Amino acid sequence: MSGLEPIPPVLLARLGKPGSCGIDGYVADGGYASWKKVLAGAGSGEWTPAKVTEMVKVAGLRGRGGAGFSCGMKWTFVPLKEKRGDKPVYLLCNADESEPGTFKDRLLMESDPHQILEGMMLASFALDVRHAYLYIRGEMVHGAEILNKAVAEAKAKGFLGKDVLGSGLDLEITIHRGAGAYICGEETALIESLEGKRGQPRIKPPFPAVEGAWGCPTVVNNVETLACVKHIVDRGADWFKGIGRNEKNTGPKLYCVSGHVEKPGVYEAPTGIPWEQLLALAGGVRGGRALKAVIPGGSSAPMLTAAEIAGVPMDFDGLVAAKSMFGSAGIIVMDETTDIPKAVTNIAKFYAHESCGQCTPCREGTPWLLKMLRRIVNGEGKKSDLDLLLQISNQMGNGMTICVFSDAAIAPVISGITKFRGEFEAYVAKSQKPEFEQHAPDDLTNAIADRTAAGIHS
Amino acid sequence: MAKVTVDGKTVEVPNGANALEACRAAGVDVPHFCYHPALSIVGQCRMCMVEVEGVPKIQASCTVPVRDGMVIKASTEKALAARNATMEFLLINHPLDCPICDQAGECKLQDNAFGAGLPVSRTSEPRRQFPGYDRTPIGPHVIADMTRCIQCTRCIRFCEEITETGELTFIERAGHTFVWTHEGKPLDNDLSACTADVCPVGALTTKEFRFRKRVWWLDKTRSVCDGCEIGCNISIEHRDRVVYRFLPRVAPAVNDFWMCDYGRLRAEELNGQDFLKPEIRVAGEATRKQTNWGEALDAVKIAIDRARDEKKKEDFASKGRKDGIVVIGSANHTTEESWLLKTLFEDSLKVGTPEFTVDEGPRRRIRNKVDGWIYGSEAAPNSRGAEAAGLSKKSSSSLSSSTAVLYISDASFSVKCNDPAFVAELRKASVLIVHARKRNALTDAADIVLPVAALSGKEGTFVNAKGLVQRIDMAIVSPPVVRTDLEVLLHLGSRWGAFDARWTPRDVFEKMQASVAGYAGLTWDSDALVGNPPSISPAAAYDVLGLERDPGVEVFPRPSVTAPDRRS
Amino acid sequence: MSGGQNVPVAEQAGNPRAGEHGALSCGRALSFSPETRADFDRLLGRYPTKQSALLPTLWLAQREWGWISREAVDYVATILELAPAFVWGVVTFYTMYNRAPVGKHLIQVCTSISCHLNGAEEIFHECKKRLGSLKSGEVSPDGKFTVIEVECLAQCDKAPAVMVNDDDYAVITKDKLDAFLKGLA
Repeated sequence: MSGLEPIPPVLLARLGKPGSCGIDGYVADGGYASWKKVLAGAGSGEWTPAKVTEMVKVAGLRGRGGAGFSCGMKWTFVPLKEKRGDKPVYLLCNADESEPGTFKDRLLMESDPHQILEGMMLASFALDVRHAYLYIRGEMVHGAEILNKAVAEAKAKGFLGKDVLGSGLDLEITIHRGAGAYICGEETALIESLEGKRGQPRIKPPFPAVEGAWGCPTVVNNVETLACVKHIVDRGADWFKGIGRNEKNTGPKLYCVSGHVEKPGVYEAPTGIPWEQLLALAGGVRGGRALKAVIPGGSSAPMLTAAEIAGVPMDFDGLVAAKSMFGSAGIIVMDETTDIPKAVTNIAKFYAHESCGQCTPCREGTPWLLKMLRRIVNGEGKKSDLDLLLQISNQMGNGMTICVFSDAAIAPVISGITKFRGEFEAYVAKSQKPEFEQHAPDDLTNAIADRTAAGIHS
Repeated sequence: MAKVTVDGKTVEVPNGANALEACRAAGVDVPHFCYHPALSIVGQCRMCMVEVEGVPKIQASCTVPVRDGMVIKASTEKALAARNATMEFLLINHPLDCPICDQAGECKLQDNAFGAGLPVSRTSEPRRQFPGYDRTPIGPHVIADMTRCIQCTRCIRFCEEITETGELTFIERAGHTFVWTHEGKPLDNDLSACTADVCPVGALTTKEFRFRKRVWWLDKTRSVCDGCEIGCNISIEHRDRVVYRFLPRVAPAVNDFWMCDYGRLRAEELNGQDFLKPEIRVAGEATRKQTNWGEALDAVKIAIDRARDEKKKEDFASKGRKDGIVVIGSANHTTEESWLLKTLFEDSLKVGTPEFTVDEGPRRRIRNKVDGWIYGSEAAPNSRGAEAAGLSKKSSSSLSSSTAVLYISDASFSVKCNDPAFVAELRKASVLIVHARKRNALTDAADIVLPVAALSGKEGTFVNAKGLVQRIDMAIVSPPVVRTDLEVLLHLGSRWGAFDARWTPRDVFEKMQASVAGYAGLTWDSDALVGNPPSISPAAAYDVLGLERDPGVEVFPRPSVTAPDRRS
Repeated sequence: MSGGQNVPVAEQAGNPRAGEHGALSCGRALSFSPETRADFDRLLGRYPTKQSALLPTLWLAQREWGWISREAVDYVATILELAPAFVWGVVTFYTMYNRAPVGKHLIQVCTSISCHLNGAEEIFHECKKRLGSLKSGEVSPDGKFTVIEVECLAQCDKAPAVMVNDDDYAVITKDKLDAFLKGLA
């Protein structure tokens, strides 16, 4: 399909240009033309919120933050004015990029902030938003400075503020800095954090589109998603749809490639570029070594072996078919020298540190996994540990917790142990720790069966 | 109302109820920790997992609002496995120090470990410790031990939503999350000990009860707090004639699940009995001597009869004798006791209307969902009952005292009873008769002291600030010879033929119903009077949900007769 | 009501951002300078509720005093009309609010997966060693350095990534470490 042919950069088009962060350069490159166009056409009815939403829907834009949910669909979940009454609608730009292996939003914000703002403006128009917030992670101090400056510039030029460009529309954008919490990238945790609370995800339903920030309908979109909105309005839905592997995986996409590659970095390519092409963009595996494993969508995605990822289209559906996920397109490449148990332990450490601590299975389970993995790589593992790790992992996910953090936490553990069990067993074999009394999994299963048979339920 | 099917049984629950409440309404007890009927839903303990038809993932039932036609499967293998999993996670870091934990016996973690836990432990990792945050007071009444905490946030929500003082918070995150106060801002509000009530484990315990008794030894008796006129429903928790603590009993229209620290600490006040036998002062002697009831009551009768006779004599006024008999009742009495006082002295003996006074106390408050905050400002529980029974309410300074016989049916009717000047005023009476349990300035001055039981030894009814009639049950059989005020009055009255000494409190209640405002139509045994049982049981959810209870079903077992003294 | 002093957390012992559960006192009552107060007043206009300004206000507090002391919490709680315990709960949830004074250069070494694959742990330990065997979170005797381990800085393409105060440093390898540390001093 022609959609996979190399494209000139879209989101990264202005990367490296001198003054790429300034508004003058942005306007000179055709920036804010869409915003002007839409506002100018709003009075005559040429441009309506519904039209923008429809464009985004038709373009097939899927959320670039991780879940890959249809962006246009998400927008339509916001109750109509008749239903929501006087409640304002809020747009939150999720710039809490903290998934290990992901660094595309940072690049966008630090190199071309105005396209994000313009995307936010257009989305605000589509959603009838008067105040949009951009939640940037605390660590990106300079990103926040750049964005704040960009907002001030846009305001000075009349693209933001009261009666924007004489359209009668008011719009404010506030840059809100986080303070170091991975979980705040989860949309309801982000809302809690924006409201000045601990970033603990909320129970859903109600979904944010109905009851989000300050109890009002709220749409949370990723930075890259909103940047795409700008380009869709710029060039039309058909152009966007024409890029990508198929109509469900469309548009230009930023791929973050890191780990053992020659040229780690962000690469823009049509959604669904085959794995080998992407790897080639990043210069191949470092030092010409053989590939061992790839984590294809940020550390939450199950890792794939070299054989499994061969020929896989790097997009939402392609990776689901390969039993992993596209996530935030943070592709972590591991070469043949990689110690998988240690890598899994490192990821487990991350999740044990970043759990918000409210749900029991996640709060207790993530440190338990970490303690066991550490024991194994420290040479004190037991043979039964590997099965126990899998069993514990399996009882942490799939609805056991409020958000999907624990599903993310167990994915690397489960995939690591099932796919590279030999490496774990090698550690256990060298273990200095004698095998004391063990409750074999069979005993446990029998015990549960006995209890169930005896009618001891609750 | 929504029709919901739980494990094949269909029940109707109000819209807005959640699946957990629907399960309880259907008689399926789903184990849980963080859910509390009076607090907001957080759904974070992940214990109450159930399957909901049409929803692929397992659900925490407390977070699922009911829909009409919803089908809940609470006992499927998947649901039980999920609860097993949560129990396992909760126990891997719990110290399992039940033998030295005060919560043992009333611990939800223990209960649910038995009911929903695994029979084996699979962890061999070191357990999480919170050095410096174990066995530490976090306020005047509450001691926290974070190694036991299961992070259910009930206590945090209590301080945020009920008292709105916000002393407690989650600190840190992930596996280190625990509950604590901010430095320099202890957990010090008027309901602070309720945090220990809502704590499902031994993480928060009250200083006053800690290590005093294993809870399984405690007998529980329904009663009403006598700290003020709000009339919080309480459970008197006692053993071997010692009261160890008060716990609130669920009363949606009064104290909901709560009680104030002041009321809770009155438990200790019920212990101790200074007067074990009637005492009487023989004319001309400085000290009283102990006697028996017959002699004591005869002496009372003689004093009263003599005063009545004197008044009838022609030269009464000219001899400058003191006038008549004055009776001072008390707002601490049950309505039955007040009514007996009034009936005996006003109706039978015709010596005038008994008086009473009630102290103004510090403002107490309690919160329920019906009224919001309710306030109490009297230092006694039943001034409304005393008034309804026909006693005349006066200020403490306008009580009559210069009289031939002053009969005070409660030697602690006011804090002033320890004030020498006030007592001297009362002592102007020729004969001073008091009912008393504890010694004070007034009892020291009295001629006749009749030993009576504490709240824990009484039965009867109180009328609270909202006008609700609430029954108290006898928790403790008083030591031999000590009697309740009611018994003393019955025996005294029977000496004039006014009463039958064999009447029970219930008999008195039924006799007075016609003449006491607010009592007509009430039934001694009705749920309205006795309230909920001591421990919060699934049945309590009915009241909280406002569900109709099947009138034919005996939801609450009647209180058992207090167990005999096991030491003898 | 104090818990233990300097209670080590299993995960990050000595980290000024995680090592103290209870708020340390700075020994004096605090209030914002007029400039910060003006910034704070501007903040309030950006949110529908006062509480929403909590995170930015804590940032202002950290900018003003370098770390979040007990008195800072009390002050922030007062001006935002929140319970101090709530504010402390928020401070401890996030990792970037310092709960103890830190060195002039707060060296934050990322050890998440991409950096781990590029030898970040070694850089972290080397860094501490070369600064005089510092412990994680400890302030060096000259008050210049504090080294801590942090999670992903979204600089995976520049692994191992290091952040010093607010500035990002890319590809700090072992041979570049000395020059890097010298550059800071």
